[in-house]
Amino acid sequence: MELLETFIQTAVLEPLQIMGSRLLAFVPNLLAMVVILLIGVFLSWLGAHLVERILRVLRIDPLSQRLGLTAALVRGGVKIPPSMLAGRIVYWVIMSLSIVAALTVLRWEPVNKLTESLFAYIPYFLTALFIIAGGFLLSNFVAQAVLIAAVNASLPPARLLASCTRWGIQLAAIAMALEQLGIAETIVVVGFGIAFGGVVLATAIAFGLGAKDLAKSFLERRFSPHPEERSQDDLRHL
Amino acid sequence: MRSLDFLLAAETEEQVEKIGETELLVGIPSYNNASTISHVVQAVIVGLAKYFPGMRAVLVNSDGGSTDGTPALVANASVDFEGLLISAQESPLQKIVTSYLGIPGKGSAFRTIFEIARRLQAKACAVVDSDLRSITPEWMELLLGPIVFEGYDYVAPYYLRHKYDGTITNAIVYPLTRALYGVRIRQPIGGDFGFSGKLAEHYVEKDVWNSEVARFGIDIWMTTEAIASGARVCQSFLGAKIHNPKDPARDLSNMLMEVMGALFFLMEEHQDIWSQLEGSNPVRLFGFQYQVALEPVHVNVDRMLQSFHQGLADLAPIWEKILSPSVLDSLRQVQSLSPKAFRIADEVWAHVVYDAASAYHHRAIAREHLLKALTPLYLGRVASFVLETQGLTSSEAEERIEMLCQTFENEKPYLLSRWYSFSS
Repeated sequence: MELLETFIQTAVLEPLQIMGSRLLAFVPNLLAMVVILLIGVFLSWLGAHLVERILRVLRIDPLSQRLGLTAALVRGGVKIPPSMLAGRIVYWVIMSLSIVAALTVLRWEPVNKLTESLFAYIPYFLTALFIIAGGFLLSNFVAQAVLIAAVNASLPPARLLASCTRWGIQLAAIAMALEQLGIAETIVVVGFGIAFGGVVLATAIAFGLGAKDLAKSFLERRFSPHPEERSQDDLRHL
Repeated sequence: MRSLDFLLAAETEEQVEKIGETELLVGIPSYNNASTISHVVQAVIVGLAKYFPGMRAVLVNSDGGSTDGTPALVANASVDFEGLLISAQESPLQKIVTSYLGIPGKGSAFRTIFEIARRLQAKACAVVDSDLRSITPEWMELLLGPIVFEGYDYVAPYYLRHKYDGTITNAIVYPLTRALYGVRIRQPIGGDFGFSGKLAEHYVEKDVWNSEVARFGIDIWMTTEAIASGARVCQSFLGAKIHNPKDPARDLSNMLMEVMGALFFLMEEHQDIWSQLEGSNPVRLFGFQYQVALEPVHVNVDRMLQSFHQGLADLAPIWEKILSPSVLDSLRQVQSLSPKAFRIADEVWAHVVYDAASAYHHRAIAREHLLKALTPLYLGRVASFVLETQGLTSSEAEERIEMLCQTFENEKPYLLSRWYSFSS
């Protein structure tokens, strides 16, 4: 009988007691996690709402439309205005941070390690995001300038030149962003270098072989010491 | 408001102080004009001696850092009065040869001239280009006389020009300025002007010298500012204007951007004035009018049409942001016409210019892109004008320009509607 009692005590009750005390110790952490999550949800909603309102007041949506950002987003399947998109990004950034913070409260070693890594990664992630956004805006602006200049210079492949410019800048931005994120750094840099160098070489060869007359005419027009001799008309605009 | 960062060079300050006061002042902006400037200075000297013999006068050369000896040529230029049957000027002409300060451009050169005119309390002033070959002493009488003897504040030039010379003026600047401000100044960007000392002071007080005006657009700025300030404005017939060709490296789209940028910039400045005005009034023209043979102008219409068609094909997404759908439709219909039948109607062209001005005002796209994207449209309109006026005399072509101006005036309500509620 005594043996049975000892068995029950050591095999059943003690583990139950330990589990109970662990459970009791865990409950406050759980509650803290729930509270942090609730605060996170509220802050996410507040942050998203504030950002969206501020961007609307600053008339970011019409500006994005003028810069071609809205059209590009629609082409990419995003059918909400940029101000709302920014709001949603802010919502999920704050929400993600809240989830990570909430998990930290549980004091699980793997989770803590993951949290530290995630927090350390955030600056790189934000930098990459800025590079992508900046590269996108710059590519549209420069491509538009190239298109207009090429049409005004009566170059037939004006749209091709503009597209190449756009893709070139966007690819450069993506490569720089991936480098920031530490994703296959070497491969990205080498790959980009090979691709870009290849494109330049191919363009140079194509221009030299396929369009040597055009190149000759362009250089003549550009550097001829007697511009009046090559002028096809003498219209004076001013 | 006057910006405080403007000073004359120390040597010029001393010279101005020494001269004290003057009645007349003639300014010549220059930059590497050694081949022509002596002739211009001599014409000014003779003109002042012949037509204003008893008046104190100062000639100001505002140079942009010439490396070909232009300032030395101005300083040393002299005239044999006896050979010209003129008794020498009673009050000797004073010369100020100075390098202007500020950002490079004709505007900064003019600013120095205005400032010197203000300090010398000049009563009447004139500015003439330094690359002129056709300037005569009579230009001084015609540019300064209406101010000295008739009490005008601003004298715009009136030149004899070939029907295809000055196409930006004929297609855009003259019709638009006339429709906006209600005065028929035929050459608003002529480059040679007369103005009162009071107006010079008004110019120098304006805070535009670090803007686009200082680099380019000074000519249209002077004309518009004179009209907008309520100055008494007239024109003087100067005959033909023959000058050295402009820098060939300066391409059309840059030229167009400079002129239209200045026009649209001024529209924003003076919208309270032009939005109230309707119709236009003739402006008094001084001087004896005569006919001279003009240099022929050869035009390559095919190249202009090619540029227009490429613009329509490649720049459509940009034009969609600038032009209204109805204007764009009209342009697309023109595209299908044969080269001989190609025409951009006056009304469509007026709408294009008004749409562009409104898009500029509302920053529909980057302003530089907007202005440069208009080049194929402008070339299309010039081609249309050339095809329409082939075989016409200069006066018949002038009647066509008059019709275009009338259309610009009639379509002004369209501009007002687009200016205040722009949508592409």
